Amino acid sequence: MKKKVLAALLAGAMVVSLAACGNSGGGSKDGDSGSDSSSSMVVSWWGNQTRNDRTTEVINMYLEDHPGLSIDGQFSEWDDYWNKLATSSAGNALPDVMQMDYMYLDQYVDNGLLLDLTPYIEDGTLDMSNVPENIQESQKVDGKTYAISLGTNANAMFYNKTALDEAGITVKDNMTLDEFVDLCKEVKEKTGLRTNLGYSVESLPEFWCRADDIVLYGDGKLGVDSPDQLQTIFDLEKQGIEEGWHLDPSVFTEITLKSTEQDPLVYGTDPDRMSWCAFSTSNQLTAVQNAAPEGMEIGITTWPSPDPAKSNYLKPSQLFSVSANCEDPDAAVEFINWFINDEACNKVLLGERGVPISTAISDAIASELSETDQAVVAYINDVVTPNSSPINPPAPAGANEFYDILTNLEEQVLYGQLEPADAAQQLFDQGNAALASAQ
Amino acid sequence: MKKKSLTLAQRLNRESTAGVVCSLPFIIGFLFFMIVPMGISLYYSFCDYNILSPPEFVGLKNYIQMFTADDRFWKSIGVTFYFALVSVPLRLIFALIVAMILVKGSKASPFYRAVYYLPSIIGGSVAVSILWKRMFATDGVINQILGMFGLPDNTSWLGQTSTAIWTLIILAVWQFGSSMLIFLSALKQIPAELYEAANVDGANGIQKFFRITLPLLTPTIFFNLVMQMINGFLAFTQCYIITQGKPMDSTLFFTVYTYQQSFEFYKTGYAAGMAWVMLLIVGLVTLVLFATKRFWVYDEGN
Repeated sequence: MKKKVLAALLAGAMVVSLAACGNSGGGSKDGDSGSDSSSSMVVSWWGNQTRNDRTTEVINMYLEDHPGLSIDGQFSEWDDYWNKLATSSAGNALPDVMQMDYMYLDQYVDNGLLLDLTPYIEDGTLDMSNVPENIQESQKVDGKTYAISLGTNANAMFYNKTALDEAGITVKDNMTLDEFVDLCKEVKEKTGLRTNLGYSVESLPEFWCRADDIVLYGDGKLGVDSPDQLQTIFDLEKQGIEEGWHLDPSVFTEITLKSTEQDPLVYGTDPDRMSWCAFSTSNQLTAVQNAAPEGMEIGITTWPSPDPAKSNYLKPSQLFSVSANCEDPDAAVEFINWFINDEACNKVLLGERGVPISTAISDAIASELSETDQAVVAYINDVVTPNSSPINPPAPAGANEFYDILTNLEEQVLYGQLEPADAAQQLFDQGNAALASAQ
Repeated sequence: MKKKSLTLAQRLNRESTAGVVCSLPFIIGFLFFMIVPMGISLYYSFCDYNILSPPEFVGLKNYIQMFTADDRFWKSIGVTFYFALVSVPLRLIFALIVAMILVKGSKASPFYRAVYYLPSIIGGSVAVSILWKRMFATDGVINQILGMFGLPDNTSWLGQTSTAIWTLIILAVWQFGSSMLIFLSALKQIPAELYEAANVDGANGIQKFFRITLPLLTPTIFFNLVMQMINGFLAFTQCYIITQGKPMDSTLFFTVYTYQQSFEFYKTGYAAGMAWVMLLIVGLVTLVLFATKRFWVYDEGN
């Protein structure tokens, strides 16, 4: 055991030291880039098995049309992906084309690791003519485009439609918080199922702050002026525990948090330890439906908010970026352009990363989508789009630590160890400190 | 004169050359994969370093923050000490008891030896950790067994601060195999005459154990204690997979917190500093153990 940990620690240090060597190697490499007829490119992404299979398939399609090119497709799980990407960035060895998340975009742009794609959009190499203006806007950082969305998503609450139908309960979109709490009580009474109020869903406070026209993450500090603007989540959790409709917090210690298969919505044997709802994002619907027990239909609706129209937003969650050190940016951009605009390619991908941003493509593949995928498209187009506001700027460095503080405080409130007001105060103080120190 | 006239072939033929060449894989590995990375990590511990941008020297800032402004740092040290100081003695006692039983020797004892050693091989693995998590779940097998005996069967072992750490301790104690094997061989080396003499003097089993077996085992106990203590302080997988430090940081191991700092908060400089603190702690504990050695470890030489 000792050896293993030591090995792990050393391996970490080693990667860093090797990366340092890579630094100088990378420099000399830049000099001789160019006129090779055979070139190679690294494309990386995170995701589930379905995504890996489909992406590998379209890469092979692309290679058939581009003899002489070779593409090394690398994929990992979410957590590993970001570890890997960070370490390779330390060694100037970022993949040529990498899948980027909105949450990390700012950090990578700030450190000058991504190529500015704006010129390619202006000269038409990246064809954005079929992409709605608001989506193009949402992926920009400081007016420049560093990443191209591969699919539009939105926050979505999934619910156990089968159980609620049996109890004669209907869920309406764009609930307010009061309506949501009433619903939680009614569901507990009629079905015995409890509520998972988004414990460990980091963006909930940000979502609710939007209703008050507050952008949660400012420059090196939180955008709220006082702790009570952060208190909503803690208040609801305390109320839920006291009134008995919230899940017992011990449930969260027995599952792997953020694992779709182990979400209390679909995982468990005892209704008292299961939730009727799950706070998630729209592109997860297929995965959740697949994870649900036989005969459980999953419904999709908006996250509750005091002002849904202000809180809701469309989210470019899966993006492609090009490394600032990419040897052949033209080839990388051409690949991305094909990925978002080619019909045959998207008929394989089938919107697995979200609704394709090109309206021409999303129309073209509509007929081939499964029923679940169609529900997602309908949710994005008919429920969220007409009733939403532009997305906040990407979260800055330090947000990860804020999330961790938030989750820890939620836990203490759920266990009854901490009063909501104190929790909000601590989140305010420690959150500000975290954002300031990450500057 | 002789030295000068050595040819290359002669040099290569010297025994010391062969020795160096044969141990070269270790020497290179040790230098490049131990000393160099350790040096780099020491440097990083004095830097603000978030992996994405180059390290920036900040002096003692990380260490000052650790010792003055980080509650979770102290919490994780407390948890780690509790875990190591409880699980290691328990594991050694358990290992000794089983070794005493197995040393009696029957036809089946080789089989039992192998069986009891098994957890040591697989116990640190991810698969067993996941299994453990399921076993101690509210609807898991532990509660079902308790239910069969009419005991309360809805305890959430992992969900309470008082019990969660014990699931990890039990998992650690369960991996007693390697200590057991070492005890076993030590027990076999105790000269039979001593017991025969004791029998002649009319000593009973308990007296024999405390007057003969235990004193003669102290060198082995000492060895096991030092090794296992180091292991205990560096435990990672169990906590990382089973509890992730939950609930409320009651199971937050130092190593897991270090990992979080580095790979979740991207504070790699801070994490490097924590790793060095752990190195000092482990060194200090080992030193203390060695300092107490002469008071309780039987040394045949003297």
